[in-house]
Amino acid sequence: MSSTSAPLSTPLAARAGRLSRLAGSPMLRFVVRRLLAAIPVLFGVTLLTFVVMNSLPGDAAQELLGAQATPAEIHELSIKLGLDKPFLTRYGEWLHGLVTGHLGHSLSSGQSVTSILGSDLPITFELILFAFVLSLLIAVPSAILSARRPGGIFDRFSMVFSMGGLSIAPYVLALLLVWVFAVKLGILPAIGWVPPDQGLGQNIRCLILPAVSIALPLMCFYARLLRADLLEQLQGQDYVVTARAKGAGPWAVLMRHTLRNSAFGLITVIALNLGTLLGVTVIVEDIFGLPGIGHELLSAISNRDTPVVEGAVLVFALVVVLANLLADLLYSALDPRVRYGGSPN
Amino acid sequence: MAVAPTDVAVPGALEAVTGPSVGPRGRWRSRLGLWIPAGLVALIFFLCFVWPLIGPVGSPTGGNILEANLPIGSPGHVLGTDAVGNDEWARLLYGGRASLEIALAVNALGIVVGGLLGAVAAYLGGWRDATIMRFLDVFIAFPALVLALAIAEGLGPSEVHVIWALAFFSVPAFARLARAETLRIRELNFITAAGLSGTGHLRTLLRHVMPNIVAPLMTFALLGMGIIIVLEGALSFLGLGIPPPAPSWGNMISSGESTLSVTPRYVFIPSIALFITVVSFNLLGDALRSRWSQR
Repeated sequence: MSSTSAPLSTPLAARAGRLSRLAGSPMLRFVVRRLLAAIPVLFGVTLLTFVVMNSLPGDAAQELLGAQATPAEIHELSIKLGLDKPFLTRYGEWLHGLVTGHLGHSLSSGQSVTSILGSDLPITFELILFAFVLSLLIAVPSAILSARRPGGIFDRFSMVFSMGGLSIAPYVLALLLVWVFAVKLGILPAIGWVPPDQGLGQNIRCLILPAVSIALPLMCFYARLLRADLLEQLQGQDYVVTARAKGAGPWAVLMRHTLRNSAFGLITVIALNLGTLLGVTVIVEDIFGLPGIGHELLSAISNRDTPVVEGAVLVFALVVVLANLLADLLYSALDPRVRYGGSPN
Repeated sequence: MAVAPTDVAVPGALEAVTGPSVGPRGRWRSRLGLWIPAGLVALIFFLCFVWPLIGPVGSPTGGNILEANLPIGSPGHVLGTDAVGNDEWARLLYGGRASLEIALAVNALGIVVGGLLGAVAAYLGGWRDATIMRFLDVFIAFPALVLALAIAEGLGPSEVHVIWALAFFSVPAFARLARAETLRIRELNFITAAGLSGTGHLRTLLRHVMPNIVAPLMTFALLGMGIIIVLEGALSFLGLGIPPPAPSWGNMISSGESTLSVTPRYVFIPSIALFITVVSFNLLGDALRSRWSQR
């Protein structure tokens, strides 16, 4: 990509030069290439969703009218909803809408999918963010403490605890928390949702139990992962020997040198986890009655509300793709040696 | 290749969760660490599959409504009865059987289909590798539970349909692991030797590649057992797994949810069984993996 030539005025030329340098920068090329590579994957995801939704027995017209409806009524409604058109036509129309920025309308409520997503997504994202912050706040310090004295009291306790936390199903944990904190102690609500603009305190109180249900298994997973990685680095790496030889204390080695290197593994796993996590929120939102995207998705699947399902799945897949990209970008921020898409050697 | 860090990190990350078995009395402890969970897993299999055939276990369904809600320790009903008079102990064992059958089938499908796909992708390399892996990426980017929900809802709740639904979750995971493992051994001498001596691709794959990647796949399958049991419970919990009145741990927990404040035992008995089973599989997987990686 050669830079543009001379006869432009100076500031413009400078800007063009900067632009072409940016366009030629390995980072931007890397990002663009990764985003382009994501398109077929996202395309596949939306097509798969359409195929799956199409192959479900019954359609939205039938679900909307209920069991008493006559075939004629169902037929009329399905023509009105456009369900009588062939499969590929409907998918094509949906794709066309997507490209022009329209995600269509819900078949059951008639609301636009964009506005449904707009009202549900913040709730789910708040829940996930809350869970992430909680899990990392506890996992990182506990992994560092464990790695400081492997085999010590704290390490053993946290290993046993985290094995337990890893093995507990989220819905079991959620019901256990409800039983302890809502039924027995009565200090937290078991169900319901208060939007943040009606009182942030109430809003947080609603989210504590669901967030902990998601965060505990995550926390255990991250703590074990980071501990193992820290220990591996401490045992075998030259830079640790160098740091120690320079006279750095054990804490300084851990915090300043090892932790930075170990953050890699953790970041990758967090990014990879995000997809699974969105699945977990479906159940947690169902148990705690949170009106998030998981809740919406469950009812949309049973209403055969394809546009809503498509919108939600697209958002989920997009989040996974972007999280993976972000993880790769963070590598380079943490370690200048990582090059974007350089040759494998 | 830019994607490399994510690709390699999957098996690495799983290995890292174990933590090396460092400690003074390491050998004894690692032996106990292997045999205790192995014994527990064997006991669970025995209780769920063999004991109902030979022991005094009642029927899990068709209970007498007059015997409903008996507490734990009632005569003839060790764990009491549920809200419609079915014996809880019998439901627990038969429910566990369903969970274990599903988990075994899903993991077997994962090892065979996913293992072959991943090994073939890595072995062939190039555009075929890219095609297979992008195809699987679609399933990875697709929220697995959503797919499982849709399949279970579409085909109707039944044990076989749950297996199909959850296989979409296990196959890509096993494929990624198999691919990483195959990439590791692909350039080793014995594969080259097999190629030089005129061994065909299929034979090389089946006789030389597969035996060398099967150990990590099996260890992963033990962790997979725990994951699948939890997922099956999730489907049943949402009413899309094993259809009641047939028991499964998931639908037992789900039906107990509505009376959580009055009779929490309906939720906690199957929950505890679920927890013990998953812990046993996780501990066994961990112990086997650390033993295997020491070699």
